[in-house]
Amino acid sequence: MQDDSFEPKIFYALCAWCGSGGTETAGAFRLKYPENIRPFRVNCTGALDPVYILRALVEGADGVCISGCHPGDCHYDIGNFRARRRIAIMKEILNVFGIDGDRVWLRWVAHGEGKKLADTAYEFTEFIKKKGPNPLKRWDT
Amino acid sequence: MAESTVLVYGTNLAGYRAAYALAKIGYKTILLNRGAYVDQYRNQALAQLPLDFCWICGHMPQRLFIGLGAMEVHYNAQILEVNGEPGNFVVRFKKRDPYVNNFACTECSACVTACPIEVETPSGKRKAIYEIPYIGWENVYLIDDKNCTKCGKCEEVCPTKCLKVDRPVEEKEVKVGAIILATEYEEPLDEDLKKFGYGHPNVVKNSDLARRSLLTNFVRNSLIRPSDGKLAQKIAVILTPQYNPKEFESYNLSVSCVYRAYRIKEVYPEANVKMFFREFKGYGKGHYQWLEKALSKGVELARADDLEVIGKGENLVVKYSLYGKAYEEEFEMVILVTGQRAPSVMEELRKVLKVEPDEFGFCKVDPFTSGKTSVEGIFAVGELTGPKGNPEIVWEGYGVVSEVLKYLGEPNFAPQPPPPFREVRGEPPKVGVFICSCFGEFNNYIDLERLKSKVSEIPGVTHVDVVKGCCTPPTMQEVAQKIKESGVNRVVLAVCTILQKLLRFRRVVMMAGLNPLLSEFLRLREDVIRVHEDRDKMLEKAYALIYGGVEKVKRAVAYATPVGKIKTGVIVLGGGPAGLEVARLLAENKVPVFLVEKSKELGGLAKTLTRDLEGHNIRDHLAELIRTVEENERIKVFKGFELVEFTGTAGNYYALIENKESHEKVFLEAGAVVLAVGGVEFKPYGAYYYGEDDRVLTQRELEEAISKDAVKAKKVVMIQCVGSRNETRPYCSRVCCSHALKNALALVEKGVEVTILYRDLNTYGFKENYKKIAEESGIKFIRFGKDKYPQVISRDPLTVKVETTSGDELTLNADLLVLSVGIIPNPDNERLAKLLNFRLDEYGFFDSDANACPYEEAIKRIMKPFELSTKGIFAVGLAHSPRSYTEAILTAKDAVGKILTFIRKPQLPAPNAMYVSAVKEFKCTGCGMCVVVCPYYARSIDKGRKIATVTPYLCDSCGACLVACPSEAAYLRDARGEMMVPYIDALLM
Repeated sequence: MQDDSFEPKIFYALCAWCGSGGTETAGAFRLKYPENIRPFRVNCTGALDPVYILRALVEGADGVCISGCHPGDCHYDIGNFRARRRIAIMKEILNVFGIDGDRVWLRWVAHGEGKKLADTAYEFTEFIKKKGPNPLKRWDT
Repeated sequence: MAESTVLVYGTNLAGYRAAYALAKIGYKTILLNRGAYVDQYRNQALAQLPLDFCWICGHMPQRLFIGLGAMEVHYNAQILEVNGEPGNFVVRFKKRDPYVNNFACTECSACVTACPIEVETPSGKRKAIYEIPYIGWENVYLIDDKNCTKCGKCEEVCPTKCLKVDRPVEEKEVKVGAIILATEYEEPLDEDLKKFGYGHPNVVKNSDLARRSLLTNFVRNSLIRPSDGKLAQKIAVILTPQYNPKEFESYNLSVSCVYRAYRIKEVYPEANVKMFFREFKGYGKGHYQWLEKALSKGVELARADDLEVIGKGENLVVKYSLYGKAYEEEFEMVILVTGQRAPSVMEELRKVLKVEPDEFGFCKVDPFTSGKTSVEGIFAVGELTGPKGNPEIVWEGYGVVSEVLKYLGEPNFAPQPPPPFREVRGEPPKVGVFICSCFGEFNNYIDLERLKSKVSEIPGVTHVDVVKGCCTPPTMQEVAQKIKESGVNRVVLAVCTILQKLLRFRRVVMMAGLNPLLSEFLRLREDVIRVHEDRDKMLEKAYALIYGGVEKVKRAVAYATPVGKIKTGVIVLGGGPAGLEVARLLAENKVPVFLVEKSKELGGLAKTLTRDLEGHNIRDHLAELIRTVEENERIKVFKGFELVEFTGTAGNYYALIENKESHEKVFLEAGAVVLAVGGVEFKPYGAYYYGEDDRVLTQRELEEAISKDAVKAKKVVMIQCVGSRNETRPYCSRVCCSHALKNALALVEKGVEVTILYRDLNTYGFKENYKKIAEESGIKFIRFGKDKYPQVISRDPLTVKVETTSGDELTLNADLLVLSVGIIPNPDNERLAKLLNFRLDEYGFFDSDANACPYEEAIKRIMKPFELSTKGIFAVGLAHSPRSYTEAILTAKDAVGKILTFIRKPQLPAPNAMYVSAVKEFKCTGCGMCVVVCPYYARSIDKGRKIATVTPYLCDSCGACLVACPSEAAYLRDARGEMMVPYIDALLM
């Protein structure tokens, strides 16, 4: 069920360098994006434990988006390669559990790509709005 | 008594890197910036953006370093007079502070709103005070002097009082020990690019294209034509320095040109891309593969001899000549990959400082030194001394430090130790939340009082306050005072950018007597204020963010900063020129050295060299170097010894070396290891009758014969790239083309007829000049294709047949056939790599900080202020990659500069202070997963206790180990799982 008043809660995991840099550039250019985004900083996307993604979904996030340095540009050399593999597996696992793996997005954003970050935030929010609320929230009082 | 401060004039990366290294060793620097703001004069990396690489976050540590107090920066500066002598220079310079002090500016733009003057510019309307977003995340405010009436309205409204319309020009006099000239990169003048059509709207410079695509990444729409907005489909990419005598080609430009063509095909496969250049000069690590990648993607290449670009309406016509025939091709867009022009600042430097320019207009530096100019005590580094690659610029920065230290007095800088921390163990957590209002600015966007009252109801929060600011010295003091008075033992600061102001926020917490691990900083500005519009939703989001921070910080634990001990003493493996230079410079700086050489003689592969292409005497320099090393008491030389056992981590290495003949064993302890084990010349047995026929030699053997005057031949044919740049060894060995030219020029003087058969002539930088001299003295150059190597068709007489790239077949008689072969890695490298647990790159040379992610231009790894990122093992000279004698010496100087930043200290705190990773020993099973994933070799398994340990000063707190650990034994001290999970819960409520 999805009504026009559904405001999703988006958990946005950002790496401390390019990901946060992207939000800072977006801020520097005063680009606007939806208020539903809840940013969560990790040092590197490779340090984002898949458990955090699960926890976010269990705790009521309707969508989880992850952004970090482009492959090849990781501030810590290869962390984002590991993130890529982990998130690919995590999406499959979510599908198996009946939670749509599409609720987890991975998009690389460079430090200077403020617009790409703002656009991703918009796109993802619209996507989740269409998808509807997190099915795990059915039992929330 | 010599002075201890160093003056750096200019802002290129070598200068910054030198200032940074000096600060780490304990010396202050004064940086004179000729521009009005940080990057007004761009350095090479920022000007060219090679491979579309921005990496501002890598330049950042340099700026944060100013905050530590080791560097004093002056803007709009110019040196007026220099007197005195090395060690005691007196420098008089003029400067003017920028109108807006960038460190205190909060970018509220109140000044822009208050300004009454409007100015029309080609790019639109603006005020007399305006901001420029060249650097995305840090806006700079400039005042247009022509239009500003100095009414002072902007100054009245500035909340932090960092803006003053009256900044007088001041003159200052300082006493310094040495001067480093580090002026910036200059792009060619527009009029010098006219022959390439520059001025036509659809002719763009590659650097401008890269800069425009910084916000969006290079995508299809980056190829929209400026004139009509149409997507260009037929594009030419021209490497202009090869066709323009006014430009000099930096080392990476061939790869930039090919990379651009490749990327166009990648984002827009239907495009028709053609590259124009004569030689592909890709001789760095990983460079050669780019040409193959581009060609296999369908990029066309024309090795034009000459070209010119003419506008034709919206399109452009490239007129070029190839093998004597003239061609014309029409394109919709032309991209110019431009080089560097001779520094215009050279005239001023010559007049004021008396440093001599070389024949090309760059600053002349002595060979085999790290930027020693004609004036003692004054050094020149980076793009000021000639076209070079980005790794070289950074190496020169460290290298000059190793030479400048001898002019300086005692260290005059040490970072301020933090005040003693209050003991908070045993206290229940009391969280204090301090919400910054950015000098009242944030009140315009959300209701801070309402936020304050909501936050005060969060369980655990005992104190909430709205503070004026948190980033200028008076406001920092204020907040620290408030934290102290409130008696809280955990702090949440809702402030702004952490990327820029992290050190300041941490200092606020430390000034209040609390360990910064007990604090959390949230970006109220970037995450809420600047990017949203709905006030109620913004309040909710700010509340959720702060709640998360409170939950995280409630569970924070204060750990002390771990320290690690460093041994003095450095082991140098290998006694070639690089190893000898390392030993010499370290000993000069009072560091004991153990030099281990496998053979009975020092000198390595350079023993057979006489002079280099530029005519400098290598033989004498090497002999002098060997003599200096053997006579130095601090250097213990072990000849005939080999490394047999090795263990330890950075700073604490234990090695066992053994004499292969006498079986004598020596045990050594060291803080760092330098790998100078060298390379080996490739022997082309089986090719061209090498080894079977006396008339077939390698260039090295020819050089020896020439020096003994044993060459009786009248006709010599040289073949380049024998065994190089092919499937087995897909890399260029860099020195072979220069070596061939050197020998050819020596032969031509004796009246010998020389023909050089080549694929690409890699005469980089100033060596290009020698190709001209060679052609003028009658040496013939004939190009052949990659798959059509010349053949020996007869041995009596010795005859070579070659099919040129223009399709002609030539037969050449030769008295001597000389093969230019490459350098291959030392066969012992694999054994050493296993022994030292140190990675080899894909070609078999040693991994190094210039090696990350497959191209040498990985500026990021080089720019990181992390001398220990390769765990205290430094590969120099040929062990690193093929390079010339001078370049091997440069890598040696760079290694010394890096080693000096840590080796003389008895102990070293972790670079990230207390924020490193740690091990929960009772949970660790010793599986070793964390050791495998750590990119900095910071983890190792303690063989005695069979659990993982962290070498604190190697850890960069990336967090890879956290996720890899299957037992939850690895954790980051500021991001433990027990803290992060409640953070997530609170964030999503």
